[in-house]
Amino acid sequence: MSLDTLKISPGFESYMPKEYVDLVERGPYGRDVKVSEMGTFKEIIEEHPMCAGCAMTLFIRTALIGLPAPEHTVILGTAGCGRLVLSQASIPFIYGNYGDTNGVASGLKRGLEIRFPNQTKDVVVMAGDGGLADIGFSCVMHSWFRKEKFTTVMLDNEVYGNTGGQESGMTNKGMVLKMAPFGKKFEKMDMIGLAKTAGVAYIARLAPTNPTRIANVIRKAVLIAREVGPTYVQAYTSCNIEYAIPTPKVMDDAREVEKDRYGFMEIISDEAKAYLERIEQEKKAKAKAVAASKAGA
Amino acid sequence: MYAVAQIDVDICSATSCRLCTQFCPESNTINYDIKRNTAYVAVDRCKGCEICVGICDNLAKHHAIKMVPITEIVEGYEMSKLGFHKF
Ligand SMILES: Cc1ncc(C[n+]2csc(CCOP(=O)(O)OP(=O)(O)O)c2C)c(N)n1
Ligand code: SF4
Repeated sequence: MSLDTLKISPGFESYMPKEYVDLVERGPYGRDVKVSEMGTFKEIIEEHPMCAGCAMTLFIRTALIGLPAPEHTVILGTAGCGRLVLSQASIPFIYGNYGDTNGVASGLKRGLEIRFPNQTKDVVVMAGDGGLADIGFSCVMHSWFRKEKFTTVMLDNEVYGNTGGQESGMTNKGMVLKMAPFGKKFEKMDMIGLAKTAGVAYIARLAPTNPTRIANVIRKAVLIAREVGPTYVQAYTSCNIEYAIPTPKVMDDAREVEKDRYGFMEIISDEAKAYLERIEQEKKAKAKAVAASKAGA
Repeated sequence: MYAVAQIDVDICSATSCRLCTQFCPESNTINYDIKRNTAYVAVDRCKGCEICVGICDNLAKHHAIKMVPITEIVEGYEMSKLGFHKF
């Protein structure tokens, strides 16, 4: 997509749905929107059927605000809860087969580089723990080993939420779920460790307790993936249904789990760090030049 | 029948907090009116989870949000009728 395809053709304004007109007139496009501005601009996510009080919804809402260029981003997902909201966002969404998200994303990113040599297109995979650590595991690992330049975001609710509560590789040992009645017998998979082994350029783990942090992490992950290599964000996004968390307690749970075992951490390669510093300096120099030209005018 | 969040404009406008706009899981459901300096709820989008109540009570400590039965809401802001930020 690009901003041009989003704009309404002259004469069609009165036929477009209100929500669409609002998006074009008041959307987050072509500028950096901040988390502190939430509620004052039209977000790219429309109404969707995710459950009330879902931490995954909250995470995705804030994550999409962190995208550096939503008008030039493609998101890939698969079966699982997250796609219910991702498919209602004004961003091209590819509903991959369960298991192949990172294979499809690899081909897509390479294809976009050939098709749009003068315009960076960001590719982001956003899928569940089952989608990425179990059924999509092989494609995820190989995309990392091949150093494919896109971002993988795991929506880790530590269960197969969409299909009624089976254990996933990311469920904690001992956890009793509807479809794991005797408790899970194995440890939670160390996807962060595996990402490290595979040489992923930027790895982050977080819980949805700090909206500004979510947006920053996503922004960094997408930027680093443009130039340096694969990036991986693993977010705790509780399933209040399968884990029976009353919705008013969802944020308490997020804070407790964060304190216990899901604290914020970032692993960033030297190359990625240098790249981020470089773009920060370039941004400052540009702002300075603009200020200087304004003062001169 | 279900309850949706309602924000006390007098309490909210005396602060410049905005925390609830960042923690509601639903997009554009708690919006912020810069002119009146207050957050407000699009009642037709609220799913009644009460996360905003906890944020306002415990994190912001402003106690400006209450859950109110939808049938008792007077002049609630409906996004589907009015669109975004149109009063
Ligand atoms: C190849 C294949 N196997 C199984 C399924 C059925 N299926 C749909 S959603 C889902 C579970 C999703 O779990 P997860 O990826 O953790 O996401 P969540 O729903 O928890 O967000 C499964 C097994 C499928 N769609 N395709
Ligand atoms: S009750 Fe939940 S959905 Fe409704 S405004 Fe509050 S946080 Fe948003």
